[in-house]
Amino acid sequence: MITYLDVIKAIHTGRICSERDFDLRVFAPKLKEVLKAREIEYDPENPVPDDDALADDLWSAAMDFYCDVGTYCLDTERIVKFDENDITQTLKTAPRQFTFGEEKQRKVLIQRRPEDIAPPWCFLGAGGAAVSSEENLLRLVQGYASIPVIDSLTSPALTTVEGTRIVGGSPLEIYGAIRAIGLARQALSRAGKPGLPIMNCISTASSAIATIAASQPQFGLRPSDGWLCGTLAEMKVDYGVLSKGAYLLSWGANVCSETAPVLGGYAGGPEGTALVNAAYNILGTVIQKASYQLSFPIHSNFQSNTARNTLWAISLSGQGIARNASLPVFMLGYLASGPMTEMVLYETAAWVIAAVASGTHIEAEGVCKATHVDHFTPMEPGFAAEVAYAATGIKRDFANELVKTLLSKYEDKIKDAPTGKKFEECYDMTTGKPSEDYVRLYSKIRKELEDLGLKFKY
Amino acid sequence: MPQKQDILDRLRSSIVTGDEEAAKLTTREAIDNSVDPVEIVEEALIPGIAEVGGKFERMEAYLTDMMMAANAMKAGMNIALAKIPREKIRRRGTVVLGTVKGDIHEIGKNILSALLTAAGVDVHDVGCDVPASVFAEKAEEVGAIIIGASALMTTTLPGQKDIADYLNSTGRRDKYSLLVGGGPTTEQWAKEIGADGYAETATDGVKLALRQLEEKGSGPFER
Repeated sequence: MITYLDVIKAIHTGRICSERDFDLRVFAPKLKEVLKAREIEYDPENPVPDDDALADDLWSAAMDFYCDVGTYCLDTERIVKFDENDITQTLKTAPRQFTFGEEKQRKVLIQRRPEDIAPPWCFLGAGGAAVSSEENLLRLVQGYASIPVIDSLTSPALTTVEGTRIVGGSPLEIYGAIRAIGLARQALSRAGKPGLPIMNCISTASSAIATIAASQPQFGLRPSDGWLCGTLAEMKVDYGVLSKGAYLLSWGANVCSETAPVLGGYAGGPEGTALVNAAYNILGTVIQKASYQLSFPIHSNFQSNTARNTLWAISLSGQGIARNASLPVFMLGYLASGPMTEMVLYETAAWVIAAVASGTHIEAEGVCKATHVDHFTPMEPGFAAEVAYAATGIKRDFANELVKTLLSKYEDKIKDAPTGKKFEECYDMTTGKPSEDYVRLYSKIRKELEDLGLKFKY
Repeated sequence: MPQKQDILDRLRSSIVTGDEEAAKLTTREAIDNSVDPVEIVEEALIPGIAEVGGKFERMEAYLTDMMMAANAMKAGMNIALAKIPREKIRRRGTVVLGTVKGDIHEIGKNILSALLTAAGVDVHDVGCDVPASVFAEKAEEVGAIIIGASALMTTTLPGQKDIADYLNSTGRRDKYSLLVGGGPTTEQWAKEIGADGYAETATDGVKLALRQLEEKGSGPFER
C-alpha cells in the first residue's frame, strides 16, 4: 500500500521532466492513445449515457492512463509514478466511509451508485464565490444552513476585511480566512446547526500557510470539516497542496481532492475530460489520501459546466467513478447565468439531474460562474437540493430525456447568459426572505419540472 | 527535385499535426530547394497554424494540439526568418503574458499564448506567480505593446492592480496596453484598476489583443 510518506519521498526521486514535456510528450499522447484504444466517444444525443459497460471502460482507461502518466510535481519537476499493483492494492484497501460534522449534524459519507435510491449528500452554499462584505457572508450562510436537507456547507469567500481587500498570500489572507470562518460558524449556530461541517475549508485562503494558520481549533474549524487541497490542470500537484496534505492528514482531518479538468484545455474534448476526471479520483486516493473528490469539469470557453458536452463528461465520469471507486465523488455545478433568471433554475436542474442519476453527490453551486461578487443567493442551492431529492432513484434514460429538454431551454444562451441580480436585490435583508418575484419564478420552474414527470419529495 | 508546392504542403501539414522535427526538416528542405523564405512563412507556416487555430475555435482541436502546432511553427519560423532580411520581417507586435503574483493557475494563459502565437503575435510568457515588476521589466526588454495579466482567484486579483500601479509609479503606464483576464476578472474590475481591456475567454482575448495592436499602430502581419 502506498503511504503519504511514500508520495512525499517520490516527489524527490521520480523521473525528472520539464512541465512542457510532461504536458505534450507524456500526458497528451497517452490520453489520445487510451481514448482511441477503448473507443470512448462523445455522444451529444445522450448527455446522460445509460451504458454500464461504457462507464466501466472509462474507468479501466483511466487506470491505464494514470498508471502510465502518473502525477507531476511542479516544484521538483518530477513525475511521481507507482507500480500498477501497488496502485491497485492501495485502491482496494482505501477507506470506504468518511465521517463529517459534529453532534446532531454528524454524518457518514459513502459512495453512491448510478440510479441509487439513497439521496446524494447535499453540500450546499456558494461554491466559494466571492462576497463583498462580512454582513452578506453572515446572512448568506444563515440562509444556506436553513435549507432543510443540507448535509454540509460550501461557504462564500470573503473579499474584504473591514473594507480592505484581501490579497492572496499576504497577511490579510490569514486575517480574512480567520474572519470568514468565525462568521460562518456564527451563522451556522444562528440557524441551529452548529455541528454542520464546512466542506470547502478554507475558501478565503488560497495559500497553504493561510489554511494551516486558520485551521487552529480556536478559530472554529475541526478535522471533521472538509479541507480543500486543489490539484492543478492537469494531473499536477505542488509543494503547497502536498504540504497542506501533510498537515491535515497528521491532524486526522478530511482531505478534499479538488479537481477541475478543463474541457478544451490539456484534457481535450468531452471524452478526454471524462477520462481525466476519473483518473483524478485515483490520484485522490493514491496521492492525496482524500476523503472525497470534489470535481468540476469546466468548459474553457464558457467558464461553466452546464453545456451539453460538459454534462456528458460529468455524467460518464460520475458513473465510472461511482461504479468502480471507493473515494466518494461530488460534482460541483458552475452555472453561466445569475440569480432570479429562468436560466439559472434550468441550468441547476440539468446538472443536478445528470449528476444524481449518475451516482454522484452534489455541491451546489457556483452561480454566475462564481465570478460576479454577490451574484448568488440561498434560492439556487435550495432548488438544487429539491431537484436532487426528486431525481434520487430515477433511471438514467429518464434523466437523459429531462436533461435534453432542459438543455433546449438554455444551451443557445450560455455564451451570453444573463448575470441576473445581486443577493440584496433578491432578498429582504432584514427578514432574510427571498423576494416574491423570485418565489414566483421558483414555483413556475418547479411546476414545469413536475409537468415533465419529476416527482418532488418535499 | 520535389515540386515547390509539394514541399509547402508537407510543411503546412507538419504544423497542423504538430510535428516539430518534420517542420524543421521540411523548412530546411524548402530553403535548400530555393523556395523564397517569405513564401515559406506565408504559404505554409502561417496557414498551418491558422488551420489549427480555426479547429481550436470550433473545438475540433484542443490546447495540446495548439501548443504542439505552435512549437512546430516556431521551429520552422526560426529557420525561415534567419534567411529573411530584417527590414522585411514584420510581426503583429509583441505581447508579454503571465499569471499574477500568488497565483499558480496558468491553463487559460497558456491557451491565450498558443492562440496569439497562431495569430502571428510575438508572445513572451513570463509564467505564473509573477510579481508586477517582472511583467513591466520584461515588457521593456522585449519592446512589448501589450501586457496581459491573468488571475484565477478572487484573492489574487489585486496582482493585476499591482501591475497598473507599478507602471504608473515608474512613468510607463501609457507605454503599454494592460489587458486582464481570468475567472474572477470582470469588466467592472478592469475599469476600477484602470486596465485597457478585459476578456472573458482566451478567444475573446485574442480579438481584444489584435484590436489593441492595430490601434497601437503595429499593423497587420505583412511583408
